[in-house]
Amino acid sequence: MGAQAASPVDDRLYQRLADLLGPTQPQRPPGHPELRPAVEQALHHEARLLDDRCYRDWLARFTDDCVYWVPLDPGGDPRAQVSYLLDDHRRMADRIGLLETGWAHAQEPPSRTCRIVSNAEAWPLDGGDTLARCSTVVWEHRKDRLTPFAGRNDYVFASLGEAWSIRFKIVRLVDSRGDVRKFSFVL
Amino acid sequence: MNSLDALVQPHRVHRSVYTDADVFNEEMSRVFGGSWVYLAHESQVPNPNDFLASRLGLRPLIITRDDDGGLHALFNRCAHRASTVCQADCGSARRFQCAYHGWTYSNRGDLVNLPYPDGYPADFHKADHGLAQVPRLGTYRGLIFGTLNLDAPSLVEWLGPAGPLIDGFVDRSPSGRIEVRNCQRMIYRGNWKLAWDNAGDGLHPTFAHRSFVILNERQHGGARSLSQFKSSPDDTGMYGADLGNGHMFVDQRPGLHQSFWETQRPVPGREWYAEQIEQSTGDGAADVLEMAPGSMINLSIFPNLLIKGNHFETVDPVSVAETRLHTWVVAADGAPDEVNVLRMRIAEDFPSLGNPDDLELFERCQEGLAIAEVEWVDMSKGLGQEATEVSADGVARAPVTYEGPMRGYLRAWLELMSSDVQLTTAAAGDVECEVAA
Repeated sequence: MGAQAASPVDDRLYQRLADLLGPTQPQRPPGHPELRPAVEQALHHEARLLDDRCYRDWLARFTDDCVYWVPLDPGGDPRAQVSYLLDDHRRMADRIGLLETGWAHAQEPPSRTCRIVSNAEAWPLDGGDTLARCSTVVWEHRKDRLTPFAGRNDYVFASLGEAWSIRFKIVRLVDSRGDVRKFSFVL
Repeated sequence: MNSLDALVQPHRVHRSVYTDADVFNEEMSRVFGGSWVYLAHESQVPNPNDFLASRLGLRPLIITRDDDGGLHALFNRCAHRASTVCQADCGSARRFQCAYHGWTYSNRGDLVNLPYPDGYPADFHKADHGLAQVPRLGTYRGLIFGTLNLDAPSLVEWLGPAGPLIDGFVDRSPSGRIEVRNCQRMIYRGNWKLAWDNAGDGLHPTFAHRSFVILNERQHGGARSLSQFKSSPDDTGMYGADLGNGHMFVDQRPGLHQSFWETQRPVPGREWYAEQIEQSTGDGAADVLEMAPGSMINLSIFPNLLIKGNHFETVDPVSVAETRLHTWVVAADGAPDEVNVLRMRIAEDFPSLGNPDDLELFERCQEGLAIAEVEWVDMSKGLGQEATEVSADGVARAPVTYEGPMRGYLRAWLELMSSDVQLTTAAAGDVECEVAA
């Protein structure tokens, strides 16, 4: 049993998440072209880590106050609504730890995935973070079935370049209000 | 379809109960129609003119509250050419207009506007062409049920000992009310009864949820969510019960040695929100925090409502081998906001970490059931030992790993499937609504 840090999730963090998807976001101007290469480099590297199931390396790219969130109602307040998942670092580690027990039946056999990341845009945020938006399709193959998970993703990068790191990752599935096939790999 | 009796035997069930499309079609009228079925919760239509989309088996419904506060379960089907008239999941509306030819209905189901009214036969009366609706509704602690069977027993009689157990779940809220909010929608490739079997099955957690049990032990230690199933669950005092009419109960509380809150796996925000609650409530904090986790019971209201953890799951058949499973988050009305924030995170904890393994196993069962020559599903554990103990309210209990609850619901299923039930629909103003509690 490893020592566990307390969850950094508090009211302020929830407010920041809610604001990231708030109603003014569609009016955001075009992204800053000079940020795009570094953001794409990080997004592509992240996609490769996940498709290769290098989950520990992936988790190491997240800040201590990170959130990985798959909302049901993008734009809704996570304090008032349930999501598919809203993980802090601790629950992300649990999600990966579950797969590592060797008894996670839904990943036996494991999914093979191939994700296509496109339409990346990026904007600087106050305090040095970078907001990035992209469209992602994760193609999952498992037990003779190919299932697409299409989402519009939002990232807040705490740093870019070689040592890129993620503060928030939000996966807005296009079918989050419909019937979704179970997933226990990372989207 | 011949001799259902031969398909459901005391100790085993025939595979066709899960695989035969004819059986499924009969279920969609005799069970999802002939029995009371959970449709929605009143908190989802709190104000006059609110509506919510729902289903009764395969039938699309609109649950409405009219401007006098009355509840209606309207079939979402234009009386003219059958188009659905409502496309939204929920909202507020006094009228539903069919987009195809403009027939317009009130939220009580009356046809209030018929465009270009010339040319209809002399005996065409608008009053005869409203939206058809569920003829019998009943509410119990805000839970709305409906049936198409006018001969069904009263709702409270049908719930039987499940009623007081619903009370126990609802009364954990300070106001004695709950609020049903949004839901996670999952779909699996398997018969709906695989989820039903699972809900009364205290044998599976040790094995099906081994990943979850091991994870919690490794990462968090101590007695954490589901650790009571780690080994020899029957030594803990946990029990299962067949409540009659298909309802089932699994009580995990005797397996706990700490409070719900202490046993709850740590979820995001646990520390900060607990601190806020401690600051605002002082000595009473432990009682307030106890409202956040699940009730440690699995209460299954046949044929489609599973009350588990701190949420509801609805089992919504799509076809003989496909089922929707919707997880509805339930807020504790009157509790501090901090409690309900924690409830949101708790309601996505086991459902996202544990449910995928259940769904995987349902799909594996459906795969195995495809083998026509291997005909039987065994449910004999604890046969003849359904009442190792009888509670004060007369409910027979048996060790949690025994399969009595499953045998019980299948007996109720068989009775419904074998009865000569008449299904009817009603016109606006002709609906019976029973407020049971």
